[in-house]
Amino acid sequence: MSARLVVRHRTGYRYPQGALVSFDEVRLTPPTTAEQTVFSTRVEVTPTPWSFQYVDYWGTHVTAFELHERHEQLVVTATSSLDVHRPPRTGQGLTWDALAAASVGSEPCEYLAVTDRVAPPPDLAARVADLRRTASSPAALVDAVVGLVHDEVRYETGSTHVASSAADAWAARAGVCQDLTHLTIGALRSVGVPTRYVSGYVLPDPEAPLGEPVPGESHAWVEWWDGTWLGIDVTNLVVPGDLHVEVAHGRDYADVPPLTGVFTGAPASDMFVEVTVTRTA
Amino acid sequence: MFAPDASVRPGYAALGRRVQQIGPEDLHVRAESLSRSYVDQGVTFDLGGVERPFPLDLVPRLIEPDVWAPVERGVAQRVRALEAFLDAVYGEGRLFRDGVMPRHVVLSSPHFHRVVHGLEPVGGVRVHVAGIDLVRDNAGTFRVLEDNVRVPSGVSYVMTNRRAMATALPEVFADHRIRPVARYPRQLLAALRATAPAGVADPTVVVLTPGVYNSAYFEHALLARLMGVELVEGRDLVCRGGRVLMRTTNGLEPVHVIYRRVDDEFLDPVHFRADSLLGVAGIVNAMRVGNVTVANALGNGVADDKLVYTYVPDLIRYYLAEDPVLPNVDTWRMEEPAHREEVLDRLDELVLKPVDGSGGKGIVIGPRASRAELDELRAKVLADPRGWIAQPVVQLSTHPTFIDGALRPRHVDLRPFAVNDGREVWVLPGGLTRVALPEGELIVNSSQGGGSKDTWVLSRSALPGATARLVQEPPTGRLDLRQMEQQQQQSGGAPYGDVVGGAPC
Repeated sequence: MSARLVVRHRTGYRYPQGALVSFDEVRLTPPTTAEQTVFSTRVEVTPTPWSFQYVDYWGTHVTAFELHERHEQLVVTATSSLDVHRPPRTGQGLTWDALAAASVGSEPCEYLAVTDRVAPPPDLAARVADLRRTASSPAALVDAVVGLVHDEVRYETGSTHVASSAADAWAARAGVCQDLTHLTIGALRSVGVPTRYVSGYVLPDPEAPLGEPVPGESHAWVEWWDGTWLGIDVTNLVVPGDLHVEVAHGRDYADVPPLTGVFTGAPASDMFVEVTVTRTA
Repeated sequence: MFAPDASVRPGYAALGRRVQQIGPEDLHVRAESLSRSYVDQGVTFDLGGVERPFPLDLVPRLIEPDVWAPVERGVAQRVRALEAFLDAVYGEGRLFRDGVMPRHVVLSSPHFHRVVHGLEPVGGVRVHVAGIDLVRDNAGTFRVLEDNVRVPSGVSYVMTNRRAMATALPEVFADHRIRPVARYPRQLLAALRATAPAGVADPTVVVLTPGVYNSAYFEHALLARLMGVELVEGRDLVCRGGRVLMRTTNGLEPVHVIYRRVDDEFLDPVHFRADSLLGVAGIVNAMRVGNVTVANALGNGVADDKLVYTYVPDLIRYYLAEDPVLPNVDTWRMEEPAHREEVLDRLDELVLKPVDGSGGKGIVIGPRASRAELDELRAKVLADPRGWIAQPVVQLSTHPTFIDGALRPRHVDLRPFAVNDGREVWVLPGGLTRVALPEGELIVNSSQGGGSKDTWVLSRSALPGATARLVQEPPTGRLDLRQMEQQQQQSGGAPYGDVVGGAPC
């Protein structure tokens, strides 16, 4: 079982009064991993900028560019085609003691910091601490926390914005995949489970006909450490599979933004995003 | 200046005699004129929004060659170890696998900037300039108080103090052979040019300042002038196609090396604070492409972290296979439960420092803190153990200082400066001796109202090493040095707190 997908991600800014100079970075290039093979990937920018590519600290492919001419819009189009074969991973079933030992001084300890972006508000933290007391293993706790976040927080487009924190979404009991992911990350880290943020895409409709572009969105899910990274898509309550495309991972959204930058000019700007995912095989 | 038996230390005999000859009135006049000339030259610092002359004490600090030699060796050694450490942190990171330091110490440091991970600096130099703060304990041992490898400041005062003293006390100068400090700007410029991007035959160097409102602006301007390079602000520079260019009357011209006095967080709005107007958008990626050298490198703050400080002796052994020449001050790590327990029991006896502080900010001196302050401190430490270290109250050296027409003992520290050009670490002979002016005050920073002394590293003993006994002087119009000794002994019995180091920037 595998899937062949084409992802087209068009994003950018409109500057009604024009921008004079822009410096931006995009993270829209899926890497080839054990579970996904990328055949082709390209990032196009209009107007044509000076640009170069590098791989950042997290292993993400970055395209950085500069524009030094007046522009009223900036359009980035990233197109990737890839095969995905993502069977469920098997963790080591670590005990609490083994997890604590493994989290010290090794790679996962980077994913334990409870930052402002992901910190659970006190009432959520208390409920997670209660769950921790009764959870026989980290895996059992993760299931309980994911269930709690998914049940309590309504998925609602537009209820939050890109800079919202987990606490904001919890207060509204509403958010998008980014918020559900941040909430889960902060909750699990608060009881010592290393958890990271994964950004990418998902084909929203598993029954979508072949060759038919389906409107999609940037997506996010979590991975937690059980001797290996195990993924959970909190929004859809599934383990990421063949219809999930991974682009980047980091501590939270701020490590993996699809498009980020600064510009000079009149302060007005608005950002647009259009994603389509097409299954071709 | 005085030995424990109240005799004048040999090196100071000539100085003691001269000071007596000059007499208090004349000294006072000279001190006034010195202060005026500092105002005229603009050697000032900003204290609470008021520009004041940087207080320079008339009594210089003398350092004998045999006392200076280990300081010079120890400072250079420390810089070499910190360079190797930073290279590991922003590269392979083998020291974690080898168990020298737990990985989380670095990963949890707010100054570990992942954005510069993997950038390889020219010549392997990230610490072009270091200021290593030292204190001398009551056994006469110099110990390292903290490392400053981000944007260390204060070297301009070393140079201006020397010129001012030559004017104020020419007869004292004539008695001693003092190693000069004027070479510093040449040495710095050579290091900056040596670490220019590959293939640039005649690199353009600039000094980048946050601007005239920065408390160290005088220093930025002085260094640019003495190196003969442009002093620029962020708005004078622009990135184009991964290169940094400078606006000039002839249009845009390339810049290859930027000696920056702007903190990391303000340097590039693309990667750090987007609201900063002090930096240059795109400069990090210009570094990444290899078109510009930024000195000191970004991300060095991880080496200044006071939790990392506790590991520096281990780093010296690990990287250099040498024993540390200059010991640390004994330090407890609050993140280690056993240490924390011990310290929380003895908060009223110890000095607690935030790992991230500089300029003496946030430090709590246990013996001087109220019950309420200690309770607040306890809560802070428990809430964020990674954020604190503790040190014993150091019995700190004092030095005679000219206060209100008389000599009084005051606490001092020493900040030697080192310059690394990639081939050798050169240590400026001398450095900034900072002095806490209020009686008993333990904080020497200019930001806390501290002053300074000229620091004379002697090239050879000015006088034969006989101990000079003081001549008994009638107490009329003469400085009574013995009275001073008594005061020093009286205050010497009390435990002195830590002099608090930290860049005034």
